[in-house]
Amino acid sequence: MIGKKKDRKGHEACSGCGVCLLSCPVWHRTQTMSFTRKARAKAMQGGATYEEISHSIDSCLLCGACEVACPEGIGIADLNLYQRQELNRTRTTYPRWYPEKDPETHRNGKGPKSASLLLAGEMLGKDQEVCKTIMEHLGGNGNTVLAHDDGQDIARVMEAGLPVSQERTEGFISLLRRARTLIVVEGWLHYPLRKWLPGKKIIGLGEALLSSAYLRSRIGPEDLYVIESRGYHAGHRRLVLLYDRLRRETGCQTNLDLQRTAFSTGASSLQGRHDLLAAGCIENAKRILKGRRANRIVVEDLADAEAFRLATDIPVIHVGLLGFGKII
Amino acid sequence: MNIPLTENCCANEKPASSDSMGRAAGGQTNPSRWDGDQWHSFVKYLVLRGITVHEGRSDSSVFISDAGGLAHGLPHGVVRPFSSEDVSEVLKAAQTYEVPVTVRGGGLTTEGESIGFGGLLLDMSSMNRVLKVDQSEMTVRTEAGIYWHQLAETLRRDGLDYLSAPLNLTSSVGGTLGVGGIDINSPRLGCSADQCLALKVVTPTGDIIECSERDNPGLMDRVLLGYGQFGVITEATLKIRPFTPISMKYFYYSSLRTAMEDLQFIAKEDCADYSGILTIMDRAINLLVAFDTDEREREFFLRWRRHLRGHGEANFGLRMAGYYLLRPWKFREAGYLIGRRVTLFPEFSRPEYMHNNKIVDRTVVFSRAVWKFWGGSKMVIPDLAAPQEKFIEAVERGNEVCRKYFRHYTLYCVGIKLSNMQDRYEMSCIPPGAQDIAFGCEFEPMLRDTNFSRDYLQSFKNEIYDIGVDMGLSYYRFGGMMKGYIRRAFGDELVDKHLALKRKADPAMILNRDVIF
Repeated sequence: MIGKKKDRKGHEACSGCGVCLLSCPVWHRTQTMSFTRKARAKAMQGGATYEEISHSIDSCLLCGACEVACPEGIGIADLNLYQRQELNRTRTTYPRWYPEKDPETHRNGKGPKSASLLLAGEMLGKDQEVCKTIMEHLGGNGNTVLAHDDGQDIARVMEAGLPVSQERTEGFISLLRRARTLIVVEGWLHYPLRKWLPGKKIIGLGEALLSSAYLRSRIGPEDLYVIESRGYHAGHRRLVLLYDRLRRETGCQTNLDLQRTAFSTGASSLQGRHDLLAAGCIENAKRILKGRRANRIVVEDLADAEAFRLATDIPVIHVGLLGFGKII
Repeated sequence: MNIPLTENCCANEKPASSDSMGRAAGGQTNPSRWDGDQWHSFVKYLVLRGITVHEGRSDSSVFISDAGGLAHGLPHGVVRPFSSEDVSEVLKAAQTYEVPVTVRGGGLTTEGESIGFGGLLLDMSSMNRVLKVDQSEMTVRTEAGIYWHQLAETLRRDGLDYLSAPLNLTSSVGGTLGVGGIDINSPRLGCSADQCLALKVVTPTGDIIECSERDNPGLMDRVLLGYGQFGVITEATLKIRPFTPISMKYFYYSSLRTAMEDLQFIAKEDCADYSGILTIMDRAINLLVAFDTDEREREFFLRWRRHLRGHGEANFGLRMAGYYLLRPWKFREAGYLIGRRVTLFPEFSRPEYMHNNKIVDRTVVFSRAVWKFWGGSKMVIPDLAAPQEKFIEAVERGNEVCRKYFRHYTLYCVGIKLSNMQDRYEMSCIPPGAQDIAFGCEFEPMLRDTNFSRDYLQSFKNEIYDIGVDMGLSYYRFGGMMKGYIRRAFGDELVDKHLALKRKADPAMILNRDVIF
């Protein structure tokens, strides 16, 4: 179960260097040390209970940047989720942004046999026009198939640290086994899918689309390319080089910081989906824009598009729509 | 992940009492050095002026220790100031109610200097705005709680960079200016404090004063390298420069003395833009040099390389192989050396930080490496700062001490170009009598998972510091738990002079009590 991995260092290994907070969107927005991963580790080292740091646990957007930044190699992504799970055991009230519905229990069966399976996620799944265009880019004609079960319900419940039934999880996984590559739009799902399906090629939508030379050719120095942070951090070792090449090839600006973590708007987090403003996503988008000279914002995640649209007048476009001139 | 559920054992009503940290790392705690008298009146006063004092344990526990990890203490409350006026209100109230105030930036002290053992902790990291980048004057005005990394992020968007700063991402500008700030380009550019053009300072009595070499130069000289005794730096104007990736080259030595002589030669002749020594073991010394431009690198290899006695990696590797093949009983030592080579050096050439064989964002690269390979829950880094003529002897004596206490350790040596600002160097890390350039050496044992006792580590530090007293040197870190060395190192006359200044500036002696005075 994700969140309970035992082969990584835990909070006891935190030296308190604070490197993690430099990439933390919550710290940048709130300026509050106690809302950081470092603070949670120090509090736990000092004997604090989960209840005592519940505000800090709940404030985390689970973007995963801290794990990439941590020089100690602490399994922070797991740890953040684990603390949420443990907090849920004792809490009597839940934040408003917690998901209401239990994961659905249907949809079991065999998935389609295809080269690639696209798990579109909540927002892309709703926008059929964009979804259709993206499928064309990904090579339709059976090469890429749109998954009917994209595991969104599982992702949301797991993100809240709530239990998902074995039946539902297995049903979901069974649909994915026959595809060679999973293109997973919801970056948060990359972590559990890699554990559930070891060896399976799991990539984000941005990575999949950027394999197209045509799309890359549509990106230029005037663009701010916003990498979907959760999927990026989940596959950081590989993706950091991919996006470095993109930056050099196209001259585009990105939301990567000097530590090569992708600064997140947090728009795809549970908190962001509930209330972009309250979750600080618009402020985070403004922070990403600060000091940049961009004429266009290219996003991989439609949730980010919404945050930027509210933060700026600069046109925002999804990477899958480049060349079509459609501004979101 | 096996995280034991904990009892609510620490929900103590007196957050600064020693038993409120019963489970603190290290198993030992430092009791509050202040009894909390008038705390509530102090808080009430601040609240009436719109300043929030965070008294919850979740707010203060993150400040329980510093990078050293040996001292533990909790403040009664934390204030996150957002302006010089906030700081002023806090210090005025602290004088009135005699509440000790500990100022904290990145918390990267190692002797407990930035830990609040009771009283109020000022978390300056909330004052982190870059106020103005002046490209015509090549200066930046910034709030002083900003981390150098944040400053670099902002400057890089305009293709700019600061001059020199500690190789640590979470050092704050204010904290650095208060102690000096050494980089591997300090042999050429001096310490960070010497690149500061102006400051806004809140004095211990709450006055907000702008100072520079022209305005209030006396205060400027007391605050820079002043270890936080004479005011809180809230804003700073610093020199900046165009950003350049650096080209780094390594030379290897099997003699520490030879490597140090070459380091001094490089500094004296200005052969490289960056230089420093990083030892792996006594038999494997790494001297690194780096260049901002191809021209400087070419000049180095044309003009200076032949004067250096270090080997390239391949040559040195062959020599080491020969040495250990003839001494098979030392294979374990060889294994350690190979292990360090295999794990440490790739960290300095990670592909995402390399471009055309140059390191981009050297601070990130070095900082990550420092924490990854030398960091830990406890860090012991005594150091010595010496004038040129005493440096080699000091390091060799310090190295002997390291060898006595630890199997594996690292020495980090670097030069510091001195300015003509001799007043600010008084009773600072710059050693007395140093002219033009000084050299510093950090002695860092590789503690990692070994649980050394505090007395053992303290004895080690004391022996290093004793060398300083014996040779009339100075230290980069001499506050906190090393307070006892201040009079021995600097002499009663000088310390009493500064103590009188401190008493005058800070009548209630509330500011950073646990650093020096």
